[in-house]
Amino acid sequence: MATVKLTNVKKIYGKDTVAVQDFNLDIADKEFIVFVGPSGCGKSTTLRMIAGLEDISEGTVEIDGVVVNDLQPRDRDIAMVFQNYALYPHLTVFENMAFSLRLKKVPQEIVYEKVTQAAEILGITEYLTRKPRALSGGQRQRVAIGRAMVRDSKVFLMDEPLSNLDAKLRNQMRAEIILLRQKIDTTFIYVTHDQTEAMTLGDRIVIMKDGFIQQVGTPTEVFDMPLNLFVAEFIGAPKMNTFKTDLVCEGGKYYVTPYGAKIEVSGKKAAMLADKKVGAREIVLGVRPEHFKMSTAGDPAAIPCTIKVNEMMGSELHLHVETATGDRLIVRIPTVSLDDEVRHSMVYGATIYVTFEGKVMHFFDPETEQNLLV
Amino acid sequence: MKKTNDTTIHKTGLGARASRRLSNTVIYIILILITCIWLFPFFGIVLESFRVETTQQVPYLFPKEFGLDNYIRLFKETDFLKWFGNTAVMGIATAVLQTVFILSMSYVLSRLRFKGRKGLMNFMLILGMFPGFLTLILIYKVFSELGLTNEMAPVGLIIVYCASSGMGYYVSKGFFDTIPKSLDEAARVDGATRWQVFYKVIMPLSKPIIIYTVLMGFMAPWGDFMMANYIAHQTSDGMNVAVGMFEWLSRTNLNTHYTMFCAAGVIVAIPVVTVFLFLQKYYVEGVTGGAVKG
Repeated sequence: MATVKLTNVKKIYGKDTVAVQDFNLDIADKEFIVFVGPSGCGKSTTLRMIAGLEDISEGTVEIDGVVVNDLQPRDRDIAMVFQNYALYPHLTVFENMAFSLRLKKVPQEIVYEKVTQAAEILGITEYLTRKPRALSGGQRQRVAIGRAMVRDSKVFLMDEPLSNLDAKLRNQMRAEIILLRQKIDTTFIYVTHDQTEAMTLGDRIVIMKDGFIQQVGTPTEVFDMPLNLFVAEFIGAPKMNTFKTDLVCEGGKYYVTPYGAKIEVSGKKAAMLADKKVGAREIVLGVRPEHFKMSTAGDPAAIPCTIKVNEMMGSELHLHVETATGDRLIVRIPTVSLDDEVRHSMVYGATIYVTFEGKVMHFFDPETEQNLLV
Repeated sequence: MKKTNDTTIHKTGLGARASRRLSNTVIYIILILITCIWLFPFFGIVLESFRVETTQQVPYLFPKEFGLDNYIRLFKETDFLKWFGNTAVMGIATAVLQTVFILSMSYVLSRLRFKGRKGLMNFMLILGMFPGFLTLILIYKVFSELGLTNEMAPVGLIIVYCASSGMGYYVSKGFFDTIPKSLDEAARVDGATRWQVFYKVIMPLSKPIIIYTVLMGFMAPWGDFMMANYIAHQTSDGMNVAVGMFEWLSRTNLNTHYTMFCAAGVIVAIPVVTVFLFLQKYYVEGVTGGAVKG
């Protein structure tokens, strides 16, 4: 249980390879923070700097108000789960989990109590006498989590703990981590490249790219109000559609004109545009696939497009369509909203008409890629 | 058309199999011949050592009379026990010290990153390519000043064998490089010091390389002649088996002691063979299974 504060943290490898820079973040006590971003964005490096496994080139890291820059990992009172589990192969599951307690010379009864308790929570009691090689991937990851749990440390660090598991196990373990979090009430810092994990686990998400923080916010904030084009496209699956179009102002109302259609901006977004006094201009418009809906040929708001790929996901269709100008869009349509006849007609090359809600679009500056409403 | 193709393939397959079998046979015959030639001297020495009817070299292989006379005479007439003891002490001490030096050196070079690491590694690699005897005269001079020659030769020799042993880091460094770094990191986060990581996590996983290093450390002084001969050449008390036997044989008649010499050879081989047989099982077992996702 502790706060973590990073101030102007920078990491330089060698002479001039900058991995992380201008990293400023306050993590509250018992908060679950997720670092997310594509590979090479510096998220793992940042985590390793907090753990003490990498030197901090510039700036400070504080845990509970104490600057830990020069402390060894063992003096930082942190626990860490590694992507490749990093279990000690010569020790049994019990001894793996007891390793840190043994180093601290904790009395045998307490070691026994803590390890069995953690094993029970994780459902690995029956494997305590086994060696790691006799366990499956999911079981090994539980042991790795258990090893971190028995420490009762101030901060719990997890470096892509689920990325070595298969998809089904990953979903299961993700749910278990959410449950686990309620049982071990401590500060979590979790690194992942998977936006689904970030959205479902984090109290707040830190989205990174090329060593810079792009946005920090709750899952809802980053989803509803992405600060820039990168965040908009990174968060949400399938990714947000973005395309250049014009914002026009007529009679006090805002309209966008994508691919010849004319769609009115409504609701909160219209008010925000007016507030910010945004004039008619070229913009990059962002529309999430799920905000599209089917339309008809006569509708002035309809965008005609050709179906390229039809992915039937069960409850919904993911349609990859091409507009008249050759842009690719992804449209997500709930299956339940379509008649069987219409659904069957959605084959390669078929023309459909789509439109989208006026209140859910995102406006970005084509030059700076920043959200115009922030 | 298709059928013809199939037949061609089939024929080629048969032909390939037959010619492979033929070439394997030839290779095996050659290998067996080489093995016989290679094993013959060892076999011969063992037989000679049990020969009772004569002490000379004879033109036939199997002794007419078997017995332990040569072994008994060896211990009675020479300082063999002394030499053997010296060699054993040097072998064991060198094996222990060298293992400590080499493994610590290799671990440091494998895991720690410090200025000049690459340069140091290259420097040591190049330095290790110079034959040891280049320094022979200088070492003798220094050791004789320090009183580490003759009776004290075993101590001097242990120093010689161990002093530069850290330069033989490359094999064990290669081994340590294959142990995932995340194990060290996990242990360090778990509260271990660098030293605890080394002996609680890395050492238990390194049995094969520890054994290799111990064996190599033991073998070098066990069979050394050149360095030992220089440093202990005047006093029987400080000699190892190789030097002792050579000195003794050069002072007596080969024909009256040939079979005893063979007996000494057999005795020298026994500890090495035993140690190898005892330790080889550790080579077999892979120890890193289940550490990390593989």
